[in-house]
Amino acid sequence: MTAVLAQVTGDQYRDTGWFGVFLTLLLCAFILINIARARGGKDLYIRRIAGLNAIDEAVGRATEMGRPVLMVPGLSDTVNAIAFQALNIFTYVSRVAARFANPILLCCYNAAVYTLAQEMIRDTYQKEGLGDRFDQDSVRFVSDRQFAFAAGVSGLIMREQTAATFFLGEFYAESLIFAETANSIGAIQVASSTETTQTPFFIAACDYVLIGDEFYAASAYLTRQPILVGSLVGQDWAKLTVIFLIFAGVIWNSVAGQTRTTRVWNATKKAYEDVSERPMPPDQTAITNLFIPRKEAITVERTVDPNFTPEGG
Amino acid sequence: MELLAQANFWLEPAGSPALYTKLIFALLVGFGVIGLLMVAPPAARRPVVAFATFLAGLYWVMLYLWPVPIAREPGQLPRDGVESVGFFLKDINSDVVSFTVILTSFMLGLGIYSLMRIHVGRIRRHHEDAFFSWVLIVSLLLMVGFGYADWSSRLGERSALLELRDNWGFVNYARDFLFEGLLQQMDAAMFSIIAFFIMSAAYRAFRVRSVEATILLATALIVILSLMGAVAFEWDEGVARMANGNPLLLNLQLTEISQWLRNTFQTSSLRGIAFGVGIGALAMGLRIWLSLERTGGSA
Repeated sequence: MTAVLAQVTGDQYRDTGWFGVFLTLLLCAFILINIARARGGKDLYIRRIAGLNAIDEAVGRATEMGRPVLMVPGLSDTVNAIAFQALNIFTYVSRVAARFANPILLCCYNAAVYTLAQEMIRDTYQKEGLGDRFDQDSVRFVSDRQFAFAAGVSGLIMREQTAATFFLGEFYAESLIFAETANSIGAIQVASSTETTQTPFFIAACDYVLIGDEFYAASAYLTRQPILVGSLVGQDWAKLTVIFLIFAGVIWNSVAGQTRTTRVWNATKKAYEDVSERPMPPDQTAITNLFIPRKEAITVERTVDPNFTPEGG
Repeated sequence: MELLAQANFWLEPAGSPALYTKLIFALLVGFGVIGLLMVAPPAARRPVVAFATFLAGLYWVMLYLWPVPIAREPGQLPRDGVESVGFFLKDINSDVVSFTVILTSFMLGLGIYSLMRIHVGRIRRHHEDAFFSWVLIVSLLLMVGFGYADWSSRLGERSALLELRDNWGFVNYARDFLFEGLLQQMDAAMFSIIAFFIMSAAYRAFRVRSVEATILLATALIVILSLMGAVAFEWDEGVARMANGNPLLLNLQLTEISQWLRNTFQTSSLRGIAFGVGIGALAMGLRIWLSLERTGGSA
């Protein structure tokens, strides 16, 4: 038995083309190559990031005032790269706080992030030889509803009169509630959101903001681990590649847009046809087709399993 | 591989003793593995965790990179080896997702335990805010109790009946009152507070303190005014009359300037940030997947 089908969508190679996959693998290769370079002892440079220099200042100020440091690793729905990176930065903050015997509060929106945060912070205190200073209740799960979480954290900020607050990770509409509440009690604030729509709110309300990929550069900057520094340099290579592609694409597409073509896609016949010369449409230039290939209908023939019983049949 | 895709260990009738036996067996195995990992020294634990992380990550990487069979219909057999792997990856997707859901459920239990430990502790110590701890615990129990009762009352044939409020019982009304009547309203109240916070944050941000702040203030003012219908209309009409058909002067229309600011500066800046964030996430994901990340405050 043979099924004959004609369908267009469903295959990422047809949707984005081989170039998208190739580019992803190339960027991964850049990162891995630079990690290997850094592991090999190559000295790599990282520029100064003001928001990260402020961490020690913020914790020091909290110590002087005898008030806690509050950390929020965003509203990630699960343990993803963003939440993990936020917790990575918080381990550094906690280490500095532990050395000064400064109380900390780490509020989690997601139970999985809470479990991981508890382990990471406890591990930090133990590695510093200050395990007895770790208060299990300093890392807490508040709520997994956005505004219940916002209300809970704002209440904590007001009650505990936190001296320093760190909002790093995925933030949405609640970002300004946190930032303004902390600002109202005069807390020094370091913030970063991977959501570009929330970054302006943080810039308006916080003292220091890590913008975009500075958030991912933070752990490399703070710890100077060769793996992290190498990875950061790999990210820079990747960004340079993207920048080069943008410039090349602009020039290539502009030149292509001035040319003329005779090829026209006939949707009825599902084939190209030669017509009299006309300007090249923007969606037919080579650079456009490199990233967004033309989706042509195809026929797929497959054998049906003789033992197959349709559901409900 | 086909055998693996076809075999369904859990294919037992709902509520049957065989299913419960398998569930208890799986729970015991799960706890056994966790127990073993907990007693194992960190040096022995690390490769196991790294392998599990790699395996879990490998599935999602493969799902993205492996060619997806197109136009697949139920019961079809793969045409070649590439399609066999593609079929397999797609078929086990729901199982992988279920596994993630199960793990998350365990984590939620730990989260609730954390919450209860803090608030029960406060009640025991007669903390000055112990009343709020009582409110939280009672609310939690009520919501769980009535939520479950409401859900179970809607199972089976009664589901359609309960679409009409006339057929509701006490538990349905109680759940509706707690969720729709209280929780959703309190959520909305918190959300509405943002409007006031935007005002106070904007007041501080838009003060003329430096050249940058002045540019920010001017651009913000243009965008705000362009969104005010009457102002934008009057301005644009005035410019159109003054331009008298001159296309260059027509660019001074408020909506044109605002659009230019948004398309030229805002969109390109946001895309630049998005590229950086995306590449950062890719690097972070790679480091986690390959267990290259050292955590726990190691310097």
